[in-house]
Amino acid sequence: MKELIEYIAKSLASKPDEVTVTEISEEDGQVVLRLECAEDDKGKIIGRQGRVAQAMRVLLRVRAVKDDVRASLEIV
Amino acid sequence: MGFGAEPARIRVLMLNMPTELLPVSKLVLDNVMRNMKVSASSAVSKNNDPQSDTVEFDIEGEDSGLLIGRRGESLKALQFIVNLIVNRKTEGRVILDIEGYKERRYSSLRTLAKRVAERVVDVGQSITLEPMTPNERRVIHMELSENNKVETESTGMGDQRKITIYPASDKAD
Repeated sequence: MKELIEYIAKSLASKPDEVTVTEISEEDGQVVLRLECAEDDKGKIIGRQGRVAQAMRVLLRVRAVKDDVRASLEIV
Repeated sequence: MGFGAEPARIRVLMLNMPTELLPVSKLVLDNVMRNMKVSASSAVSKNNDPQSDTVEFDIEGEDSGLLIGRRGESLKALQFIVNLIVNRKTEGRVILDIEGYKERRYSSLRTLAKRVAERVVDVGQSITLEPMTPNERRVIHMELSENNKVETESTGMGDQRKITIYPASDKAD
């Protein structure tokens, strides 16, 4: 799952090398993806009114269905 | 809803694509779908106009329903993300459809528009529809533009923009 978010975020970032995604499995089976990037890339990756982040969450939900889990995305 | 029908496959030869839009967008789209692990493949649409600055793809495969999502939500997100990434590399616009979803959706919106318009005329009161995309709203405005018993208007901002259908007498001069 992290590959999907990594691919999108790295493609949008001006400093792709600073993009890292960590996959954390919670006890209740949910998976949390923590996305970190350069401070000046945050705007691009979150988007105006969070539109990019929102679209990434929709695609992540589709991806999570394929693994039969629930996943959420945190941008830190 | 015609899911059993096998769509005609037409091979299109690209001659005059002005930029690298086509190969770039094909690569980005396929990369995103591969990372989503969906079973689906993309092909340049038969509607695609090689002279324009847009490229249209049709997607089909086992996971097409999942890729469309509730009311087209996933398809919309996929198109949005692919356009963002493509526009980091080249100019132009990418339009996606999945197994004719958009045309099916537009045709059901035309039916809805006619039905709601009749209702508005019968009851003499306006009815507001759910929020829709710009293209969806355009279909409804167009469908009712020649119906002189009703008028249509969009209100609201961004994703929440929606159409209200009014009885024409409310605004007639």
